Amino acid sequence: MQFKVSILVLSGLVFVLAIFFSARTKAPLFNVPENFPVPEYRFAHNPLTEAGIQLGKTLFYDALLSKDNTISCGSCHQQASGFTQHGHALSHGINDLLTKRNSMPLANLAWSPRFGWDGGVHDLDLFPLVPIQNEAEMDESLPNILEKLRKTPEYPKLFAQAFGSPEINSERFLKALSQFMLTMVSANSRYDRAVRNEGVKFTPAERAGWILVERKCSGCHPEPLFTDFSFRNNGLVKTVNDDQGHYDITLRNEDRYKFKVPSLRNVAVTAPYMHDGRFATLEEVLKHYHSGVQHGETIDPLVKRERELGISLSDTEQANILAFLLTLTDEEFLTDRRFAESDLPSPSAINSVPNTKPTLAKTAEWPELMPVAETSFQKNFNNVVASYSDLKLALFKEDTLKASVAAQELLSHLERIDKTKLTSPQQNYYTTYYFRILLDARHIHKTELVQGMTRIMHQRDHFSSLSKSLYPLIRTFKLNTNPMVYRFCQGANQGQGGYWLSNQEDTDNPFFGGLMSRCGLLSNVTF
Amino acid sequence: MKLFFTALLLFAFSGVGIAQPAGSVNLVFSNVVGNENLVLNNKQYTNALGEQFTVTKLQYYVSNICFVRKDGSEYVVPQDESYFLIRESMPETKQVILKAVPAGEYTGVRFLIGVDSLRSASDISVRKGCLDVGGEGKDMYWAWNSGYIFVKLEGTSPQAPVTAQRPNHEFMYHIGLFGGIGVKSTLNNLRTAIVDFNNTDVRVKQGESTSISIRADLNPFFNSTTSISFAQNPVVMASPFSQKIADNYQSMFSFAGILLKKPASLPPKSASGMN
Repeated sequence: MQFKVSILVLSGLVFVLAIFFSARTKAPLFNVPENFPVPEYRFAHNPLTEAGIQLGKTLFYDALLSKDNTISCGSCHQQASGFTQHGHALSHGINDLLTKRNSMPLANLAWSPRFGWDGGVHDLDLFPLVPIQNEAEMDESLPNILEKLRKTPEYPKLFAQAFGSPEINSERFLKALSQFMLTMVSANSRYDRAVRNEGVKFTPAERAGWILVERKCSGCHPEPLFTDFSFRNNGLVKTVNDDQGHYDITLRNEDRYKFKVPSLRNVAVTAPYMHDGRFATLEEVLKHYHSGVQHGETIDPLVKRERELGISLSDTEQANILAFLLTLTDEEFLTDRRFAESDLPSPSAINSVPNTKPTLAKTAEWPELMPVAETSFQKNFNNVVASYSDLKLALFKEDTLKASVAAQELLSHLERIDKTKLTSPQQNYYTTYYFRILLDARHIHKTELVQGMTRIMHQRDHFSSLSKSLYPLIRTFKLNTNPMVYRFCQGANQGQGGYWLSNQEDTDNPFFGGLMSRCGLLSNVTF
Repeated sequence: MKLFFTALLLFAFSGVGIAQPAGSVNLVFSNVVGNENLVLNNKQYTNALGEQFTVTKLQYYVSNICFVRKDGSEYVVPQDESYFLIRESMPETKQVILKAVPAGEYTGVRFLIGVDSLRSASDISVRKGCLDVGGEGKDMYWAWNSGYIFVKLEGTSPQAPVTAQRPNHEFMYHIGLFGGIGVKSTLNNLRTAIVDFNNTDVRVKQGESTSISIRADLNPFFNSTTSISFAQNPVVMASPFSQKIADNYQSMFSFAGILLKKPASLPPKSASGMN
């Protein structure tokens, strides 16, 4: 009997492993990067398939998941910002309600044993229920979503492709979302390519920063995932809302004010920082660890040695750490079409209300004006705007080469901008948008061919995103002397919408070679 | 873990080819307050502290059912067929039908009030029927602290203070938390109800159906090891006090006799089980 049972157990194991590996060898939908450990997620329970991932992606970007069909997962988890909600300390959900915390970046979820800032969820499959049910996020219920999905013409087909029959149920819905999120692996930053000896070398500052991070930060942010997934109190000043983090889950006093250690990967683009987004820049974060750590009952011993609070970091050390942190930005991940909303085969907004207004037009989200009077900044920024105009004209004329040249000029003007002449709040604001402009301009310049897109499509996609970052800078810093117009064309970018900036007289549409009629809906804001 | 699988396989084999004589058992749950039947919304009751209350909602999970034989041995209802969600507002859910209980004499039954930790931490694929968070179990689940709500009792009491969220003197007791999984540790509010048949001869006969009446009394819920006051604790969810309520409701279930006839008006129970 014992023998029989062993054989059965063994053959069962072989069978499970065979399924697991055959799925992987046929199509490497999920690869464990060379420098990464074994994932936590139980793939055997949810084997990835192309159709499953595609369904998950469609669901991820579908606002149908919210009560009034306005908020999708992608609303608060935006790819270019490392799947966080860009520029928001606390995420904005349904009806523009503020959530309790800053949306967490999504990357390398297959390795995470717990989810959320407070660690309340132990299984990735169960996580989507949190934002779905939260009244300030999607304010919806899973049964309602399943009903809505069943009533669409598209979803039963997509479920059939993914799971073999058109049945739409909780398990399939949640597992499809997991499949998509699991594919979001970020492992191609400059850091990764340097440690894997793929022809990238650290600069002296980056190398110095790397050593410092290993010495002073790796207690909580160990390589290669740059988090140990633990919960810690890093000595933040208490705020009025008195969020106690992990304590809410465990109800143990020793867990008060502890929050999940987030990964440092892509940290340059996931601003603002901490569970409540209290720090706008990485400089502020480093300052906090150097001199801002407050004592508390549950303070982590790594930020309080004996009587000394914080981690001492000289200015040079902070600068070097910062240089190293920038090497953790994985541009390939941040722009990978596999994760991009605009890459969906059909505008997935199957039942959703299109976002008809430029979202930044809402005055409620604007910070107070911070006019920049400093002339060298003004001058260099004006040059950036001039290159932007050239770029717009090139796109209007569908001249990809000229667009590439204009983007290169824009980048060179951007490099000349000296932000140190700005006030500290201005610097923070500037940095937030600087990285995005940099990213988009580089893509427009490189004009690499992306599968399924022509060069001009790719450039226009990034041009819209670049415009969205330039607009708040010009407006908040009051950098325009004449009125400018921020415009939106709904039909642009394969129905995803396109934004651009122009002066009042200029109505050349950079998206359709001047054919405004193809926009469907047009809207604009003059400022 | 290996041992677990071995046990599982042994268990599976032991059942093959052996047809044991079996009958069906209906556990019929009657929710009461002392000597009075529970009537939702319209009837007022008084707790041990003299506070008046009406009940608008009562629902709870019953799982991992196990019968104790006269010789002390036990019959454990197969795991996948052992999850039920009782809702006072849905009479059909108050009958738990167990189709294949081995014939014999039984002295008692016990069950978990709630959903065991293994199932609470299991893959979503084995959470069907009343455990489906996108279906029957939709209002019995905490997404933010992954786990089922074991018992939900809501109502109003003039003694419950008025707040902006509760303008009509509402009280709410949502009790859950299974102890957590891995390094995530939470309170453990799982409690086992032990229902003794009080020397009543409870026989399960082959091919026949036996209906056992189980009384769920709200008096012990409010006053057992701890007296619960609507004025003091109008809302209890995931807080340390929830343990006191769980301790209280552990003793709310008792045996209320054998029902000679199947209640005629009730349709057979199957919808809210796992199968």
